[in-house]
Amino acid sequence: MTLLELTEVTAFYGPVQVLEGVSLSVPDEGAVGILGANGAGKTTTLRAISGTVRAGGKIVFDGKDIRGMRPDKVAALGIAHVPEGRGTLAGLTVRENLKVGAYLRKDRKGIDADIEYCLDLFPNLKERIKSHGSALSGGEQQMLAVARAVMAKPRLMLLDEASLGLAPSTAKNVYQAIGRLRKESGIAMLVVEQNANLAFTLVDTATVLETGRNVLTGTSAELKGMDEIRRAYLGG
Amino acid sequence: MATATQFFAKPWVRWAIIGLVVVLMIVLPLILPAFANQTLARIGVFAVAVLGLNVVMGYTGQVSLGQIFFVGVGAYVTAYGVNNDWNIALVFILAVLIPGVIGLLIALAAARLGGLAIAMVTIALPLIGVPLAKRLSEFTGGSQGSSARFSAAPEWTGLYDDQWQLYIVIAIAGIVFLLTRNLVHGKYGRAFAIVKGNEAVASSMGISPYRYKVLAFTIASLIGGVSGFLYMVVVQYTSPETMSFGHSITLLASMVIGGAGSILGSLLGGAYYVLAPQLTNAVDSSLTAVLQGVILLVILFVLPGGLVSLPRLWRRRKNEHRGMPAGGAGSAQAATATIAPTAPAYVVPDTSAPEPIPPTQSQEKRQDT
Amino acid sequence: MGTFIQLVIDGLSAGSIYAALALAIVLVNQATGLINFAQGGMAVLAAYFAYSFIQWGVPLILAILLSILVSFVLGALIERFLMRRFEQGDPDTAVVVTIGLLTLITGLCGWIWSFNNLQFPSLFPVQNVNILGAVVSIRSIGTTLVIVGIMILLQLLFIGTKLGLALRAVAVNPQSAAFSGLPVGRLLMVGWGLAAGLGAIAGALIAPSQTLTPGMMDAALVYALAAVILGGMSSPIGVVLAAWMIGVLENLAAVYVPFIGYDLKIAVPFILIFIVLIVRPQGLFGRKEVVRV
Repeated sequence: MTLLELTEVTAFYGPVQVLEGVSLSVPDEGAVGILGANGAGKTTTLRAISGTVRAGGKIVFDGKDIRGMRPDKVAALGIAHVPEGRGTLAGLTVRENLKVGAYLRKDRKGIDADIEYCLDLFPNLKERIKSHGSALSGGEQQMLAVARAVMAKPRLMLLDEASLGLAPSTAKNVYQAIGRLRKESGIAMLVVEQNANLAFTLVDTATVLETGRNVLTGTSAELKGMDEIRRAYLGG
Repeated sequence: MATATQFFAKPWVRWAIIGLVVVLMIVLPLILPAFANQTLARIGVFAVAVLGLNVVMGYTGQVSLGQIFFVGVGAYVTAYGVNNDWNIALVFILAVLIPGVIGLLIALAAARLGGLAIAMVTIALPLIGVPLAKRLSEFTGGSQGSSARFSAAPEWTGLYDDQWQLYIVIAIAGIVFLLTRNLVHGKYGRAFAIVKGNEAVASSMGISPYRYKVLAFTIASLIGGVSGFLYMVVVQYTSPETMSFGHSITLLASMVIGGAGSILGSLLGGAYYVLAPQLTNAVDSSLTAVLQGVILLVILFVLPGGLVSLPRLWRRRKNEHRGMPAGGAGSAQAATATIAPTAPAYVVPDTSAPEPIPPTQSQEKRQDT
Repeated sequence: MGTFIQLVIDGLSAGSIYAALALAIVLVNQATGLINFAQGGMAVLAAYFAYSFIQWGVPLILAILLSILVSFVLGALIERFLMRRFEQGDPDTAVVVTIGLLTLITGLCGWIWSFNNLQFPSLFPVQNVNILGAVVSIRSIGTTLVIVGIMILLQLLFIGTKLGLALRAVAVNPQSAAFSGLPVGRLLMVGWGLAAGLGAIAGALIAPSQTLTPGMMDAALVYALAAVILGGMSSPIGVVLAAWMIGVLENLAAVYVPFIGYDLKIAVPFILIFIVLIVRPQGLFGRKEVVRV
């Protein structure tokens, strides 16, 4: 069953068109990657879904047309956007950050249980539970961002450049944790990544964007096998 | 409209217009009735005051609520000097310099703080100025104020007083306007605009926001002093009321309504300052403040560039009708000079180089750590 | 000695009122990134509402509570319909809008209730008590205690409740908050409403001694802004301490420094700011700015 479907989505920053027609679909509990070079429109695609940029075309989530919906309404439908730059709530503690993630939920016990789950998923956060968000390292902030999204119990998670600015080993840790999360929770994922190697450890299929439109789509296995992909994104 | 702009761009047309204006300025005072001359003179006085405010606020983007204070100081210095029979040239120089020095001192301190500190500090000036003027009664005449008659037309000119005063205002204001125009159209003006647009960018270009804010504020207070001198020429009386909080706000409103960051807008602002109270009083005197507040808010919402931007707006509407897209920024925010860049509200899209992202990003507010 | 204690306590009382207004300004600034120069004016409007309620026979405390409620709603509406479109832009423009709002409110107060001085009843008995040989007014003590109580309540709200957490989240990173489903717009309205309510309390407390006029809190605004400058925009404790310091010092200066006297008290925060800036040139803000880049 298709959870999210994008059809010929366009997007604009003011008068500048950044997406020219992006199409993709994410199956329920599936994981899809969005690859491409800088400036291709990967982050913008996620922004179009979460409503933070003006978009055209069709965006359907769980049968509902969500194009043009406000970000908090999109979140309420079950889409959690982990933004580029991580979106850490700086003056709040780690625990408070997690609580904000669970804002829309009313089940106290469930929230507490999920906080424990997140701390188990990301042991680094457990140590820093009382620290302020601004005091965390880049990797820890990324984990916190993912955890915040998990707290919302979403059906779909939008991951934007989760490896950005992280040391390779840290990025690998983060992706391993996300992989475990995916297996244990069944959350569907749409993953934007410049580091295609990392992305392929997580996603089943991927689409490659270039200047605002799709140029290639396929399963991870297919794409990994292609010479162009290998040369452009996998280091030969 | 294209043909009209081309027409006005022709050099000989410009010179003709300037010539026409000069001729009008010489001839009008002679033919207009006394009341009209006096009104025009007062408009000139406050146009200069608004111009000063524009330098620091319209062009450099620093909200200042203290401009009227400098006008008041200039007026008081003039009154004191005249009443003590000082040389009129000396009086003028002091009327300009003393507010300038005070402005410099205030700016040196206030500009150190970022953000809206200048606004937050200058708001105190009228509120301190009024009781101070009452207190220093040997200099200021206390609550009664101080009058100084020195602008009667000399015999050899054969002019009436009101004509003579208007000529003085035209001459001095004209010079100040010209000097300021050259300032803001030159490299200082460009520096001001950059500081106004984005201080971080300014420092990275080697333009110290602090120095230019101090400079702009000092120039504003110097010009305020000129306005104060002219005020005494025309009104011949000053009191603590001259620099009240209410007047301070009206002056600021006049600048915005006339057109922030615009020379012509300063003239319109001066006209607003003088004429609007008369008009709003005619509507309903107890509603004056309400109307002024409403007008200011309406302008900020509908015409942020002030009255002076009306032709621009009209031209843009015409272009839109013709199918040419309006500029992306649309109607600019208030207190924005036409040359100021509009900072994008969005985070830069994928085109940014993936540098290690620090905890604070452009979408987050800065926090004190 | 007796005079000194009296002045200090009166100073704390006045300083508490400045602190309340200053906290309202900080609250609005944290939430929406702009400085509301009409914060004092809105407080005066609330006091006028209370005055009318009292005229209509409503008991004093109820009248004040009602005015706080009305103020809350007004603050929320002002954020939504007046300030919303200026929040993302240049803070200087937003300030000018608030100045326009101040003019409008002052004018409305004068038009509806006249520009005359009106008598506003005091919440506290107008009596004095004897403390350590000093004659101290109950009103001063009461005012200080009320405001300290309110500040504690606010702290509890922000630290201990879900709403407080949400307000803080929105203030820090509105987009991130939206991604977690927080209704950012509505929370901004609540923030402004709270600030307005806080101002209403300050207005009701200062009105008895100042007598109610449209310009009643113009001076208080200056003091509040000075407290914000000295205390730092992101430090509520600092702001409160600064406000108390300003209140106490201006009272002491009025009596012990003859030139300043009563009418030039308002120069005191100004002088304080200058002194602070000489000692700490980068200001108490440090490097932090309110402006979003």
